[in-house]
Amino acid sequence: MALATLPSSAWDKKKAGVLLQRAGFGGTPQEVEALAGMQPWQAADSLLGSPDLAQAEPPASLRKPNLNDKLRTERNRLKLLDPKTREEKQREIFRALRAEQEKRLTDLRGWWFERMANPATAAREKVVLFLHGHFATSEEKVKNPALLCQQNQMFREMALGSWPDLVLGVAKDPAMLIYLDGARSRPEQPNENFARELFELFTLGEGNYTEKDIQEAARAFTGWTVRLPKKAGETMDEETHNSSFAFNSRWHDGKSKKIFGKTGSFDGADVVRLALQQPAAPRWITGKLWRFYTGSSPSEEMQRELVSTWEENKGQLRPFLQSMWTSPAFYAPELARQRVKSPVEWLVGLCRQLERPLPAPALASEITTQLGQKLFAPPNVKGWDGGITWINTTSLEKRYEYSSWLVSGTLGMRRLGDMDLGRLAIQSGLLEVPRPMIEGTPMEEPDMKKEFAEKRKAAARQARELLAVSPAPLAPLAAPEDRQDPARLVSRLSTRLLPGETTPPELQTRFRKAAGETAPLNDAAIRQTILAIVQSPVYQLG
Amino acid sequence: MKEAGLKTRREFLRTGLLGGSLCWTVPGFLQNTMLSLHAAADGQLVQGVTGKDGNILVVLQLAGGNDGLNTVVPFDHDDYRRARPTLGLSEKQVLRLGPKEKVGLHSALAGLAKSYEAGDLAVVQGVGYPNPNRSHFRSTEIWATATDAEKSSSTGWIGRYFDNACTGCDAAVGVTLGSQTPQAFAAKTPKGVLYEAGGRRRRLGADGEPESDGSMTMAMEADGEDGPAGGSIGDIAGSSGKIDALDFLERTEMDVQVTQKEIAAASGRGKNGVPYPGSWLGNQFALISRLIAGGLKTRIYYVSQGGYDTHTGQAGAHDRLLREMGDAVSAFLADLKAQGNLGRVTLMTFSEFGRRVKENASGGTDHGAAAPLFLAGGGVTAGLLGEMPSLAPRDLDDGDIKFNVDFRSVYATVLEKHLGVESGPILGRAFPLLKAYG
Repeated sequence: MALATLPSSAWDKKKAGVLLQRAGFGGTPQEVEALAGMQPWQAADSLLGSPDLAQAEPPASLRKPNLNDKLRTERNRLKLLDPKTREEKQREIFRALRAEQEKRLTDLRGWWFERMANPATAAREKVVLFLHGHFATSEEKVKNPALLCQQNQMFREMALGSWPDLVLGVAKDPAMLIYLDGARSRPEQPNENFARELFELFTLGEGNYTEKDIQEAARAFTGWTVRLPKKAGETMDEETHNSSFAFNSRWHDGKSKKIFGKTGSFDGADVVRLALQQPAAPRWITGKLWRFYTGSSPSEEMQRELVSTWEENKGQLRPFLQSMWTSPAFYAPELARQRVKSPVEWLVGLCRQLERPLPAPALASEITTQLGQKLFAPPNVKGWDGGITWINTTSLEKRYEYSSWLVSGTLGMRRLGDMDLGRLAIQSGLLEVPRPMIEGTPMEEPDMKKEFAEKRKAAARQARELLAVSPAPLAPLAAPEDRQDPARLVSRLSTRLLPGETTPPELQTRFRKAAGETAPLNDAAIRQTILAIVQSPVYQLG
Repeated sequence: MKEAGLKTRREFLRTGLLGGSLCWTVPGFLQNTMLSLHAAADGQLVQGVTGKDGNILVVLQLAGGNDGLNTVVPFDHDDYRRARPTLGLSEKQVLRLGPKEKVGLHSALAGLAKSYEAGDLAVVQGVGYPNPNRSHFRSTEIWATATDAEKSSSTGWIGRYFDNACTGCDAAVGVTLGSQTPQAFAAKTPKGVLYEAGGRRRRLGADGEPESDGSMTMAMEADGEDGPAGGSIGDIAGSSGKIDALDFLERTEMDVQVTQKEIAAASGRGKNGVPYPGSWLGNQFALISRLIAGGLKTRIYYVSQGGYDTHTGQAGAHDRLLREMGDAVSAFLADLKAQGNLGRVTLMTFSEFGRRVKENASGGTDHGAAAPLFLAGGGVTAGLLGEMPSLAPRDLDDGDIKFNVDFRSVYATVLEKHLGVESGPILGRAFPLLKAYG
């Protein structure tokens, strides 16, 4: 039996608040009310918006020439140098390359954060965030921000379409081919990395394939590789050429293979098709989507309903998500307070609820990194474990610290926690790491080093200005009449910050205590109250 | 000694509850805490594990699947040389473990070879489990939960040790150096806190190129500097068992208040007596040593080094990983010796699996099965334990090494002989003990 549908009579503000938080990144009481005024299906549909919202122009810096190309040519020229100079040069190149990548990744993350914070695109971007964790790929191995951007855009365009198309797209994606070694796999000894993770993590789950299936599938994927940009020129400013998918028949093992009991001279597309025909396939993806959106594992019965809804919708993500979001089970009381907000969701959501701008890209990116979620650098191919693993003594303390920045601002603070402002300055583009040239002076010379250290210090001071967080504007959060009555203020702020939550009495007492008894409430008392709410265990859930 | 910890906690509860700065909700966790306080007050605590001078276990996870064959190298095996035409190490490239032994340590492990000579290092060969799983995550989970490969458990072996032997202990009875709690800590009553020394994890490029040098001072000065990481397995934490999210958050909030301060204080009291390498791992071991010297009542420290998933370009990358590991561990052992604490400490390494005997076409190795691990410390009987498994193709299991020692025998030995607790309730049944302690 497929998932039941929530009757419109049961649709209310509380459920709308839950939906806005889980399907997107949360929002304002006005947005909750607008959703509550629609039919459930219409509400889900409006969150996902029209298909043309997938179109996006990536940040400009990602389209510029790439130091990676430089590096490849330099390597050959480096061989001509004496070992000591070579080593120094190599270090310079790595430094400059790393700095350039950091800057580009910062731009990319900032650009993505803005899309998440935009109510029109939030729900689609939430799916993209799910896909980034599901098909985890890290810049730490791929080392090419443009390719990660390309993958991210593919997720965005295919996020609400057909699952088989998406899996095939991932199998041919250059960043993935590099990340899981497919690009380097050869028929003599095929590399099993991608085939294994395709079955174990992307489509079926452990226990639903044999080691033999992996070995044979690895053979089928041979020849799927990445076309590198043409040999780059001698100078730094050659044209950008992005890598793209290529089939190299010389590297393909065209002989017969036996996979999941079927025999044929299969290639990669066949493997994807065969994997998705396995009975475990719909169970795997639907269970994972359910966990992502509710924070709980589905019961056996629930799991069966998810699979039949999936099959009814022929593996199309959009109608499946809308069915899930409009099922009564999605709002079951036992699912309340089970889902821990991820760091990205926490940051974007808090800014949305406070109706304040996001911090500057380098700071926003550093905040989620410190909290355990560095976009484009998941810890491993399984992505982030999520759930309570987001929470530990260090990360919870930091969530509380950063929330005070977002509520009260950072003006007058000499440092931003223990963040390295010099590094953030480089990531913000305030300072360029000198670009290495084979013919130039080695940076190891003490004068150059000293000069750069000075520049770095100055840039760090500049970064402090640039990254400063302004206090959240209080006008949208507390109307004049709210200031007259502490009880009313607490209730208004609780509705805004803990939508879908019935605040238990002991929490109310705690929030009331923060607000104080003196009316009218001044700005400090209002910020105090907001902080009491967001610096609480229950705020981390949603 | 346990009184001190309880007093702190009790005091905290009192001042926290009556003082102005209440920052958590009271019901669920408080009840549980009170229950455990009661249990503690009953004086029924097993083995008095909170004592400051009790034994300590340091677990070092080599995440990604360390190539055991190129760590403890059977250099004159024909089967080894045949399977590893380019990656194989010759006698000249290894540090022989004695004139009669046919195995040697990878040359990057010079410090560990010295510890072996000094009698502080045991090598357990051929460690694994029946029906080996070649998935990073599942195999890590099997090692973490210490279950049979076909079974699963929502708690980890270290978590069960805490549940069994440390019910009234402070959360700092387990300290993880890093940013994610390992799955081995999952417990009915979760314990353990995270703490991390400065510096960033240094990882290695996929092509084996070092991405940076240790003295990096340009782009990322204050951070130390890391390079872009290598393989697709940087770090594996694993999921925890099913725990009520709100309850967990409330408990964590309290640990933030109480424990982090204690750890910072202990770290300030302790001093390092020897220089450590400047790597991230070196920083963590330097910190563990200070915490031990500073008298923190921690029983288990856990630290993980990632990057061992060497599917491509293994030679240079593996060399650097082992060097980083060996240098950090030998500095740590030397420091403990200088402090007079080496006898109280056992360091145990493990990796979720070894790698396939035969190298692949990308200059790397794929996921394998059994592999050796190290036990180090003053109480450890130095030497080779367990048999070196056969590498003859007919003796392999689908190209992989078969295990001779169940990893739970290693756990059981450490639990019984070093931590002084009964291993049966923790591991579910009895496993044969190794002769690793005198």
